[in-house]
Amino acid sequence: MTAVGANVQRSDGEAKVRGEAVFGVDLAVARMLHARLFRAPVAAGLIRRIDTSAARASDGVHDVVSGADIQNQRAGVAVFDTPLFATDYIAYEGEPIAAVVADTPELAEAALRRIEIEIDEVAPIATPEQALSPGARLVHPSWAEFGTVGGIDFGAHGNMVAEIFSDPGDVEAAFEQADLVVEGTYSTPRQYQAYLEPKMALATYEGGRYTVQVSHQYPFRVRDRLAQVLDVPKSAIRIVGHHIGGGFGAKLDLGLEAYAAVLARRTGRPIKMVNLPDEERLTAPCRENAVVKIRSALRNDGTILAQDVDVVFDSGAYANNGPAGASIPMFMYASIYRVGTARIRSRMAYTNTAPTGAFRGVSGPYLVFAAERHMDQIANELGRDRREYRLATLASDGHKMRNGQALEELSILHKAFELVEARAPWSDQGADQEADQDTDQNGEKLRGIGIAAAVWLTNPQPGQATVKLNEDGGIIIVTAATDSGSGAVTTGLRQIAAECLGLSADHVAVTMPDTDVAGFDAGSQGSRTTHVAGRAVFDATSEVRRRVLETAAGMLEAAKEDLLIEDGIVRVAGVPDMSLSLGQVAMAATFSKGPIVATASYTTPPPPHDPELTKGMLFNTWPTPTYHVHLAEVEVDPVTGKVTVARYVIAQEVGRAINPDAVMGQVVGGVAQGLGYTLWERMEIEDGRYVQRNFETHGLPLACDMPKIETILMEHPEPAGPYGAKGAAEPSIVPVAAVIANAVSDAIGAPIDSIPITPEAVLDALQSLEHGVSG
Amino acid sequence: MQFCRAQSLDAALEYLAEWGADGCLLAGGTDVMVRYNKSEIAPGAIIHIEGIEPLSLITTHGRTTIGALNTHRGLAGDAAIAARHPAMASAARLVGGWQTQAVGTLGGNICNASPAADLAPPLLVADAHVTLASMRGERRLPLDEFFIDRRVTARRADELLTTIDLEPLPEGSAEVYLKLGRRGAMDVAIAGLAVRLSLQEDGSVGAARVAVCSLAATPRRVPEAEALLLGARLEDDALAAAGQALAGAVSPIDDARGTASYRRRVLPGLLARAARQCGEEARQ
Repeated sequence: MTAVGANVQRSDGEAKVRGEAVFGVDLAVARMLHARLFRAPVAAGLIRRIDTSAARASDGVHDVVSGADIQNQRAGVAVFDTPLFATDYIAYEGEPIAAVVADTPELAEAALRRIEIEIDEVAPIATPEQALSPGARLVHPSWAEFGTVGGIDFGAHGNMVAEIFSDPGDVEAAFEQADLVVEGTYSTPRQYQAYLEPKMALATYEGGRYTVQVSHQYPFRVRDRLAQVLDVPKSAIRIVGHHIGGGFGAKLDLGLEAYAAVLARRTGRPIKMVNLPDEERLTAPCRENAVVKIRSALRNDGTILAQDVDVVFDSGAYANNGPAGASIPMFMYASIYRVGTARIRSRMAYTNTAPTGAFRGVSGPYLVFAAERHMDQIANELGRDRREYRLATLASDGHKMRNGQALEELSILHKAFELVEARAPWSDQGADQEADQDTDQNGEKLRGIGIAAAVWLTNPQPGQATVKLNEDGGIIIVTAATDSGSGAVTTGLRQIAAECLGLSADHVAVTMPDTDVAGFDAGSQGSRTTHVAGRAVFDATSEVRRRVLETAAGMLEAAKEDLLIEDGIVRVAGVPDMSLSLGQVAMAATFSKGPIVATASYTTPPPPHDPELTKGMLFNTWPTPTYHVHLAEVEVDPVTGKVTVARYVIAQEVGRAINPDAVMGQVVGGVAQGLGYTLWERMEIEDGRYVQRNFETHGLPLACDMPKIETILMEHPEPAGPYGAKGAAEPSIVPVAAVIANAVSDAIGAPIDSIPITPEAVLDALQSLEHGVSG
Repeated sequence: MQFCRAQSLDAALEYLAEWGADGCLLAGGTDVMVRYNKSEIAPGAIIHIEGIEPLSLITTHGRTTIGALNTHRGLAGDAAIAARHPAMASAARLVGGWQTQAVGTLGGNICNASPAADLAPPLLVADAHVTLASMRGERRLPLDEFFIDRRVTARRADELLTTIDLEPLPEGSAEVYLKLGRRGAMDVAIAGLAVRLSLQEDGSVGAARVAVCSLAATPRRVPEAEALLLGARLEDDALAAAGQALAGAVSPIDDARGTASYRRRVLPGLLARAARQCGEEARQ
């Protein structure tokens, strides 16, 4: 192989480095106007009056729209609960209430300030606990009328968006048999995706069709959701994608597209919208804050007889794709470890806060945080070495998850533990550390080590690719798959086509997404692009190859079986002077049977499972699993409470690394984001409002805060994947919070069961320990 | 708004006399431009002083005199500053990020009068005095009298801060600045602490100066802690007592960066660390 496994350069790399690449926010078209949203200034309240007359009369203003002026029905991905504009009541701070169209963004902004609104503020429902407490005010009084996708019953009730439950019925009995019960509560905050390019849209309405230019991870979802919101046929909408300045899940659902489309139709002019950076941050679909409670029934020998898991997530004011996230506990618990039987309850609550949504590794980081903190807790209670206890409890090949699906290759996880051990030998210093506690108050760093394991999936949703052989022998891949920065499209798909056709990836170009041109693709989510869109490219290129050989066989008067393709040349094996370039073959085909073009599609078939075992799931299998072990060593400053990551080692199974550099980039990036979540970033909520209002206090980690990440890529080629590739981009974020919290807890000798692990939280834990010891 | 470019000190003072409180001085712009872009200030004139070369001088005869236009990067890399004012040099390296250090000036950092000004504590422990010039003449006052409140200074509307003069680190002394932030760079201090100590032959403290930022409305000296260090040996009990005095003397607030409680709690440990570090360096 030449193209696959090579560190081929990204086709968009040079343009991005040189500043030539045109991102969504850079777009401009003739006659374009600019729109901005007027957003709710409070977290909850009744709207008494909106007066837009002064804004309408403001300089350069073309249109002002609020909910009363347009069709404003509720819509959504999973639950149809979200209006374009709040009309009667405000459900969160930042909720759109009106929009202003003006000649420039500045004039639109100036007009926004002239919108008058009277609000009767009400006390916000600020937390899921509050939302689910008896007698709580309803965030949405009309919740019972909300439709759902496919009419699925997610178990909604009042402020409960979704309740997913799996109960085999034998859990209580197991607890009665237990020698020991260990329980813990693990809580995690929101995390903002912190991509560079704010959400944008540029819409035109012409000849009865909407065209919306976007920088979006999932153009076909924009098409489908616009059709839903605007109540027009999907075929009346065209979505054209451009370079994306990052998304990490925040650009998977509608952002500004529907507003731009509505305003384009009303004004007859192209409408461009871009959020301001702070506006983006305060209204983005963050990873949801969550509280996980786990109770384990144990035998003295460490056998887990049963687990009882309760997960409560914060949906924010609307559901987004929340019920999908609420399904994930069914795969994160009772999956890689033998836990006997398990009862899992997953609940998602409406609150008066910005709606949460998809973020790299949806739900995974906090579910694994809870699971793996709990494993440490059990090991500590049993006096067992934490790594040894994991190995003793780890399940083996064929182990069935809660949905009845077998993890056929779980032994890869055992191998991952071994590879990490070979790189960074485990030394559980917990006991020694505790003895050092009180002598270390004047500065000596406390050291700790942590380890955690996880299984992650590769999103199975469909993708189609068309592969065209041009008459000069070049290849064009037509796809709606998007590259939000990973290189999955700009290197991966090109390498797969190049390998299949025996030419250099330099000869392969790939289109930007356009829903009028390319077949359906489910977008950049769940590490699916290389595996699913890559498989479609592989199948389409295989058909191109077949037709090349068929055409060349006729031209060379040779048998197809005797032909080979190398470096873009079709040769007859063993006959050196019998050859044709791919261009010659393509030219001949074009002017005889027609151009050599092929289209193929792929969707990962659902693995065998038992649909009766889980209820209310938005998706109920865990396709194309990958396996992960992380280890971290940390130093804690006992004076300030600051945590420094001294060493970070990963063994990650990827099927096959099509482009090792690109995979490494994703692995390191995921850890960086995970460390930000665990140690630095803050999106605290008080009274329904974010406390940190901008990036200055947000605390994204910097390059200088990053440890060296030592990555071991494990290759176990997956037969269904293109050249064996599975998903690789998302999962390195999943175990980070767990492994760091385990290491910090080990260092200080006190449990850290919530993140972010701020210096203050570390000092609190250290001081509670001192009081515990002296008292 | 008018943009006035002053190429000489006299020109700057004339502009200041003309515009008074409606004139806004601009040097590196790392604070002014941010506030201007956020519409927090709307001056009648911006008086750009970055080109006044004499204000970039550093002289080291007796006291160190530093022109107000010296940048943080310049201070961080200056050999004389490193030898005479190591705490200030390290504070200069910790202000914002490399880009802001490259253009942000010492005079700007002081006149901005942020409670979190990193350079202020090392300046305060070096007995810094500022010189203010106007068409009416010059005056010199101690830095702790210059800071009046959060973002309020003793500078009159027609005055330009021209130089800061400092007492260099005496023989047998050491100084240190410890910044408590969350990240490795580009952070506003949760707390900042500068300590300058002189040790006597017997190991006791002969002179002690302690100053802080992000712990009160202005950066300030903390005589309560200094008094307990003076004459003491750098041992656990004495350091703990001084640390407690320090924590009791400051008036931190809860903000989005940290709580008042955390700020108070870290101080004894930070002071002990800073004092021990000074002790080790002074003995070398």
